[in-house]
Amino acid sequence: MSKKNKALSVVQPYIWLLPSVLLMVTMIVVPIISVFKISFSEVGRSGLIKGFNGIENYVEVFKQPAFWTTLRNTFVWTIAVVGLSTVIGFILAMVLNQEFFGRKIVRAVVIFPWATALVIQSVIWKYIVNADYGSLNVLLKKLGIIDSFVNWTGTAQSMFAWECWVGIFVTFPFVTFCVLSGLQGIDAALYESAAVDGAGFWSKLFKITLPLVRPSLTVSTVLNIIYVFNSFPIVWTISKGAPADQTHTLVTYLYKLSFTEGKSGQAAAVSVIGFVILAILASIYMIMSLRGEGED
Amino acid sequence: MAAKRKGWQKVALYVFVIFLCIVILYPYFVMFITALKDKSEMYAIDLILPEVWRWSNFAEIWDAAPVLQYFINSMLIAGGATILAILCGIPAAYALSRMKFKGKGIFMGAVIMSQMFSPVVLLVGIYKMMVNISLNNSILGLILLNAAFNQAFAIWLLRGTFVSISPEMEQAAKIDGCGTVKALIKVLLPVAAPGIITTLIFVFINSWNEYTIALTLISTDAFKPITVGINVFYGFNFIQWQYLFATSLCATIPVVVLFLLIEKHLVAGLTSGGVKG
Amino acid sequence: MKKFLSMLLVTAMVASMLVGCGGKKSESGSDESGNVTLDIIISQYGNYTQEWWKEFEETFEAANEGIDLNIEIVSWNDIYEVVNTRISTQEQPDILNISGFADYVTDDLLMPAEEYVSDELQANFVPSFWESNAIDGTVWALPILASCRALFCNMDLLNEAGIESVPETWDDVLTACQAIKDTYGDEIVPWGLDISTDEGQAAFAYYAWNFGGGFVDDNGDWALNSAENVEAVEYIQNLIDSGYCNSAPFTDTRYPLQDAFSAGTLAMMIGPMNMVAADSTVNYEAADIPGEHVALGVCDQLMVFKDEEAGDARTEAITKFFDAFYEVETYSDYMVYEGFLPATQDASANLAENAEKYIVGGTEDTAGNSEYFATFCAVLPNCKFYPMQKTEWMDVRNGVIDVEQQVCSGTTDAQTALDNLQAEVAE
Repeated sequence: MSKKNKALSVVQPYIWLLPSVLLMVTMIVVPIISVFKISFSEVGRSGLIKGFNGIENYVEVFKQPAFWTTLRNTFVWTIAVVGLSTVIGFILAMVLNQEFFGRKIVRAVVIFPWATALVIQSVIWKYIVNADYGSLNVLLKKLGIIDSFVNWTGTAQSMFAWECWVGIFVTFPFVTFCVLSGLQGIDAALYESAAVDGAGFWSKLFKITLPLVRPSLTVSTVLNIIYVFNSFPIVWTISKGAPADQTHTLVTYLYKLSFTEGKSGQAAAVSVIGFVILAILASIYMIMSLRGEGED
Repeated sequence: MAAKRKGWQKVALYVFVIFLCIVILYPYFVMFITALKDKSEMYAIDLILPEVWRWSNFAEIWDAAPVLQYFINSMLIAGGATILAILCGIPAAYALSRMKFKGKGIFMGAVIMSQMFSPVVLLVGIYKMMVNISLNNSILGLILLNAAFNQAFAIWLLRGTFVSISPEMEQAAKIDGCGTVKALIKVLLPVAAPGIITTLIFVFINSWNEYTIALTLISTDAFKPITVGINVFYGFNFIQWQYLFATSLCATIPVVVLFLLIEKHLVAGLTSGGVKG
Repeated sequence: MKKFLSMLLVTAMVASMLVGCGGKKSESGSDESGNVTLDIIISQYGNYTQEWWKEFEETFEAANEGIDLNIEIVSWNDIYEVVNTRISTQEQPDILNISGFADYVTDDLLMPAEEYVSDELQANFVPSFWESNAIDGTVWALPILASCRALFCNMDLLNEAGIESVPETWDDVLTACQAIKDTYGDEIVPWGLDISTDEGQAAFAYYAWNFGGGFVDDNGDWALNSAENVEAVEYIQNLIDSGYCNSAPFTDTRYPLQDAFSAGTLAMMIGPMNMVAADSTVNYEAADIPGEHVALGVCDQLMVFKDEEAGDARTEAITKFFDAFYEVETYSDYMVYEGFLPATQDASANLAENAEKYIVGGTEDTAGNSEYFATFCAVLPNCKFYPMQKTEWMDVRNGVIDVEQQVCSGTTDAQTALDNLQAEVAE
């Protein structure tokens, strides 16, 4: 019996993991393998897989100037959206952590962008910033802030900036709530004793608040990097990469390659490249967090 | 002096907060107003508010397209995915938080890695696999996929919750003769409820808002979730902004309400998930 | 032991949930009883496409025992994606309604039309349409419907701005745009332009053809960097730079432009004949596109995929399907219903006489009466079509959109961009 028990205790954890593993392997790993396979295959425009062709797809992708623009955009997009969302979200959390009249309402309001489907957000923002009939121009003109309509999305840069704005708009509430949850765990006594020691706002912020909410910030940052990097509906709904593929991120670029241009092989190659980039980021994160644990 | 500064701070705080609320609510205001406009006012550039408030738009959407069906589908997909993700996630998170075994680190790494691929990137592969098991164009297929793509997040949050709870109570229960499973259900889960609810809501909302997989996988109108379904108003020759936004609002409200209901738990859940994550 | 068992049970339950709840796979082809199921994908042409095909399905199945139709209506947003993924997984439909077929021919996926089209039906197609789907003498697809693009002008706006008649030349267009801009400022957009990723190739066709250029030369070889094409693209650029166009031509598709035109806030645009909403009160005139007066004809196709395993029963069922669909009453009804032009001779003749008869039970989107069909059916043979039968078409299509967007966003000049595209395509 005891031998049996021992064997059992070795196997048991794996049984507990099994449902989860099964689910993820069938639904995620299998498709990943097939994407890798496709990235090394020649694929006909109608989607027919014609056989192995080495790194041909990758070479083709690297030859496209649009790919390099896209890569740059993806970094700008990820850093801008995650970075600004984190700053805005953090400040907001600090504010919402204060006691003030109407705090509950504000908290409720902050939930809105988080709870709305990205497609819906993208469509509404596209409608708002349209220069010819969009409500932003109409409103600003009525208020007398502008004399004639402003073309908000006239250049690739301004279009992309708006897309980043929508990205930030939908991302910061998550940061806010993560930080809020971290802030709630902080003992008020810490601040009181710091105040007694004569610590000002900034020194309290850097000495107490930041170190203590760091774990929350790490969670939100890591998850946001992944979500934002892979975010599809905003850019696709608003610009589809136009003009001339200057506003793509990797995900929309590969979608266009695959479904508008019929180049599934190259699209798969771009997927793999995106995967590699994220994997590198993840390893950096893991190394850093392991080292962090070691320091403790 | 101190009191004076406090007053000034308060004003600044309110200015900031009010400004923020306006910015956040502005798109919803536009959605609401547009949803109430008549089709003919859609492109009129001197109108902020509708001339005629067409409340009937909200009634008409249900006839203009099978919107109710889309809602039911979204409910089924999000509900099913949530249940499945939690059922699979709880045992995994439990093992990760309470047991020692070989490959734990690898598994955690793999879980994070599985988040690296967005479903969009995998579309071709996903479609292929779903066809192989005959689950393309079915609600069940979407349930499985949403559950799988939310698995990592569910495990992460749940594990954090479990780790933050001391194992002593379960051990005590075990000594009293409870099995591991019973101890988990009877002792741990009730204590971990806030974290579990947070996870539930998260998965539900992610699945409710999912768009790309459903867009590709579902071709029959009867199985479309609301995010894909609203495309009918963005259809071939004309865009029915008023219906599009009316439906969008209807799709958003339940999620917001859900969020509001769990707001307290949400904050608590994120803490436990976050700090020990 | 109990622990282990209970754990096993949970695992087994989840596993069985995962594996055991597979849906029904729709079988295409014929089963033992001789029943044939045809999987059919139809593009969504309007809000009520679904309803029409549902009725057709019921009528057809009642009349043809043993043939099951499985008709799916897919929106234009998703159709290429849906079809491509199906093909890559060998799940292609039996019959597909889409725009463009050369890629499928290249990959050897289609059946030649003569194998399934009855002689009567073949003789009934308007010859230019029938032939437009041929590659090297073999016809691979059937024309399902056609549409024709013209210049639409809001006459009230033009008159108010002092322009008496529809612009005839490209210079007239500039004059009219300036007049409208001077008169109305922000309120009215003078000229609608769509060089979006969705359909920017149409704009290229309108301008290139009407400046005397085009996609191919007289021999049918690609001629994308001709002097005329350069002039055309520069003209588009000039329209934008002068502030005559809608502000977001890169992302505005035809649809919001058509809506704006119908609502009276856009003065002129080139669009399909059924573009003005039925309930619009705009006083408009449709005219030839300025310049060379070449109209763009758009003709979508129906095609049949090969199925090596299926026997003659499938082919026979397909023949019956097409005979039923193109039957003059049914087909005329569909054309009026969707507001497009027929590709068969008897339906053209029929609609030119009694289109009104079919409007009964039609929808808000149906445009048209006999006069309208008579006019446009007469114009149609003179329309030019995209060179869809050429294998490089998809590259060229995306290429010209890219050129327009590059030039109009100031990345390169028209000559360089078109030279590059020509070099790429000729490669």
